[in-house]
Amino acid sequence: MGRAQYTIRRILQAIPVLLGVVTITYFLMEAMPGDPVSIMLGPSPSAQQAAAIRAKYGLDQPLWLRYLNYLWDVVQLDLGTSLYYEVPVTQKILERMPVTILLLVSSFTFAIVTSVPLGIISAQRRNKPTDHVARVVALLGVSTPSFWIGLVLIILFAYQVSWFPATKLVLPWASPAAVGVDSRFDVLVTSLHHLVLPTISLGTLQMAALTRIERSSMLEVLGEEYVKLARAYGVKETTILRKHAFRNAQLPLITLLGLQLTSAIGGAVLTETVFSINGMGTLIITAINNQDFALVVGTTLVLGLVFVVGVIITDLSYAYIDPRVTFEDAD
Amino acid sequence: MATTTGSDADSRTESDAQPAEADPEQPAANVGWRYTVSQVRRDPTALAGLGIIGIATLVAVVAFLDQTVLPIVGMEQYTIAQAVWMSPNAEVAPQLLPPAWTTNVFGEGTWAHPLGTDDRGRDILSRVFYGTRIAISVGVIATTIALVAGTVVGSVAGYYGGRIDDVLMRAVETLYAIPFLVLVIVFMVAFGRDLTFAMIGVGIANIPTFARLIRSRVLSVREEDYIEAARAAGVRDRNIIFRHVIPNSFAPVLVQATLQIGVAILIVAGLSFLGFGAQPPTPSWGQMLSQSRDYMLPDPWFSIWPGMAILITVVGFNLLGDGLRDALDPRINN
Amino acid sequence: MSEPLLTVENLKTQFFTEEGTVRAVDGVNFEVNEGELVGLVGESGAGKSVAAQSIMRLVEEPGRIVDGTVTFDGKKLVDIVETPDGRMEESDEMLSNREMREQVRGREIAIVFQDPMESLNPVFKVGAQLREFIELNRGVSESEAKTIAVDMLREVGIPEPEARYDDYPHEFSGGMRQRVLIAMALACEPRLIIADEPTTALDVTVEGQILDLVSDLQERYDTAFLWVTHDMGVVAEICDRVNVMYLGEVVEEADVDDLFHDTRHPYTEALLRSMPRPDRAVESLDPIKGVMPEAINPPSGCRFHTRCPEAREACKEFHPEFQDVSDADEAPHSVSCIKYEAVGYEDSDPLETEATGAFAGGLADMRGDDGSAAGVPGGEADE
Repeated sequence: MGRAQYTIRRILQAIPVLLGVVTITYFLMEAMPGDPVSIMLGPSPSAQQAAAIRAKYGLDQPLWLRYLNYLWDVVQLDLGTSLYYEVPVTQKILERMPVTILLLVSSFTFAIVTSVPLGIISAQRRNKPTDHVARVVALLGVSTPSFWIGLVLIILFAYQVSWFPATKLVLPWASPAAVGVDSRFDVLVTSLHHLVLPTISLGTLQMAALTRIERSSMLEVLGEEYVKLARAYGVKETTILRKHAFRNAQLPLITLLGLQLTSAIGGAVLTETVFSINGMGTLIITAINNQDFALVVGTTLVLGLVFVVGVIITDLSYAYIDPRVTFEDAD
Repeated sequence: MATTTGSDADSRTESDAQPAEADPEQPAANVGWRYTVSQVRRDPTALAGLGIIGIATLVAVVAFLDQTVLPIVGMEQYTIAQAVWMSPNAEVAPQLLPPAWTTNVFGEGTWAHPLGTDDRGRDILSRVFYGTRIAISVGVIATTIALVAGTVVGSVAGYYGGRIDDVLMRAVETLYAIPFLVLVIVFMVAFGRDLTFAMIGVGIANIPTFARLIRSRVLSVREEDYIEAARAAGVRDRNIIFRHVIPNSFAPVLVQATLQIGVAILIVAGLSFLGFGAQPPTPSWGQMLSQSRDYMLPDPWFSIWPGMAILITVVGFNLLGDGLRDALDPRINN
Repeated sequence: MSEPLLTVENLKTQFFTEEGTVRAVDGVNFEVNEGELVGLVGESGAGKSVAAQSIMRLVEEPGRIVDGTVTFDGKKLVDIVETPDGRMEESDEMLSNREMREQVRGREIAIVFQDPMESLNPVFKVGAQLREFIELNRGVSESEAKTIAVDMLREVGIPEPEARYDDYPHEFSGGMRQRVLIAMALACEPRLIIADEPTTALDVTVEGQILDLVSDLQERYDTAFLWVTHDMGVVAEICDRVNVMYLGEVVEEADVDDLFHDTRHPYTEALLRSMPRPDRAVESLDPIKGVMPEAINPPSGCRFHTRCPEAREACKEFHPEFQDVSDADEAPHSVSCIKYEAVGYEDSDPLETEATGAFAGGLADMRGDDGSAAGVPGGEADE
């Protein structure tokens, strides 16, 4: 009994979910109109060419067989070949993944680092001006389309003034030569430089949502009986905030983080489009627009995996803080 | 007979000197319309939200009538749309004008086009105006779909528990695991790229939110004594769900639905931005933003207005939703 | 007679809400002597919890202490005086918040709350919570505090205290948790422990155990207790003296035996009649009619007159004084009822309320009956 078992249980629970993700995506793609063959070969392929292509990609087999074959391939980590790029899907994904992960990690970090203190201060200064300002900002943050924030940021900070670049992300571990600078340090700087606007664009929504939750959670915890007891025993208010209330208040936040992943990935797609970033988001859009079956299903599966991993991490963090969880059934 | 001064003259007798403390944790989900309305009326920000929504809805309705009804009645010439939709003469069209109060490389702003014109010479204000209709209707319909389907799934799962619950919740989780933008896009590519499928797709993608909410309400309500009583009295499960469980989940669902409309509007804007939504020339805010991208440098104002429209509308729903939540949450009231 | 440890004089605490001002505590007086176990009894809504919390100045918005003096060991915990221009403000003698925190809370006075489930922080181990408070209030090192904590857990009857020290709150049963909270209070070695309905949330058998424990510990440590409860049975079992509260006021104060056998106030009588007593056999229990009114708008005159079986017209007009009605050689016994004052109670007509069961004319004798004696003729009953 305990954390190890809980972890394993959560991982096992994830498998059917992933299976479902693949299945849904696979069959949705199958429902797409259009013939991949004509896409590849042009409007009037010869019968021979068409047949050859079909055989090559196994398109002449019945649906259920293709589906099972696909599953079998997936288990072996073979996600097929991209029709559009003509390279293995896995390769394409590995190429684009780091960029998206960088963006996601960066925006989540931004969101957490800003929202927690903001939420706490807001709760402490409840109904005072600081609180009102913070709440207005948070409200605006959850109401603004993230891609519009991106556009406005570009207009203001990349076009009106040239403080930040308007496109692309640079990986911090890229080689200086590839980036066109002198040293590793310069690569790092350039990387951060490119990261700023997209991070704010993607992270604002999360930051706003988290601030609201942090505030209300903190308020709730500060009203709890055990906090009152701590006060009754003479504990200083700062200690109460820091120690007695803080941990408990983070619990809803952690839950929300897990749930936010799905919208964050969607947001990443939009942000990557706005900033012309070559990540998983733009990859999937290209794949869809070109009816690149294998690529679509493969990327969806991987994104689903990212989500599942994220949820497991948040669940584990929750269980780490709240000792009650491992002993009860996860709801 | 009895007169008591200044107290609630309760005719029931307190049967003992040791009344039990009311459980403070019991959420008052069984609130009715009247209470809700009275609470909302007292909250200025909620009213502001309601006001915004009201205006937006009015605009949407006017746009709808204008676009749909007039042509049927044979009065197309009165459609504002016709007048400003597409400039009949492409070369003469005033393209990419800025708002009335500034000038840019393309010319001077005029009050004939208060917010400027787009790249086809169409008046931005009118297009934003008409975009309201799409935003609101898609938001409301998608949320309704999600609400109804989610309620069915959630209440069945919560009420019956066990296997059914497991299976349904797994399915819901799976739906949730696919990043919903991706889900909806793939859905639309499979079935149709236009607005109808955007609505359905967004609706389906939002089912998990309501399913989970309803399920957790059902789980807590299920243990209540009056449910036991109903069951013991032989009321059928379906009736129990519909007549007792669902009405008692009213409050949080209302809050969530209001907020969810705002969310749906944002999602649909994103979809339109990517090209999966209202197809040109139908004006939608997301799609206008997508068009504006090419002209960000010379005409930044083009990018501003549709985004502001989205912002204001969603703020309206969020204000109302927050107001409802504050009004209906008993703990905050304490 | 030495000075009381705790003196509460004319304490008034009010809550300022949208619906109006709730006069939760409206002029309350009582004392607690060293080593004494004093009960504060009343129904829900009587204001007893608020009074208890006011002593420690733990009342939070929208509540505020608006009047009164609370003296503890010579220090003024609460001291609100009227300024020459009629405002109420805190006197200079009153301890500052910081002084309260550092000198009083946890150190001199400790509190045990009602719900053991909610009083312990679920994410921290029980031992750590105990240790923190002990360290803070007894000025000892961490390891010393741990030793004290473990000893205290053993004292309150928790088996295997060293192991349990590292457990989380949810691993304890309700009764065990309450023992932990009692251990917490005692470990800080306060002079006074305020227990705010600590057994209300527990099973009767567990409650019995806790009460035994407390009696035992009290003898051993000679700590004074202010025990807030709504349960007269608990009062009978452990209290030395009792204060009965109704709607923000103390209506009777006496030694516990006097309270039960020489009851003076109609409310206390009514309370006692409504519960089973091992020393008396009755035909049926006699509940108090009506509900306690809200503290926003208390009844005029004597606040209990709306539910008092002996209410008369005079009761509506005169607010009773809280005064000592005991004989010279008896222990002090104070009551707040105009029956004991010279304001014309005897000559006044009976009030017609549900409680008095009065119909046209006569006053039926309420003892043991449930008041459906319609049309009983006769004049006023002799008191």
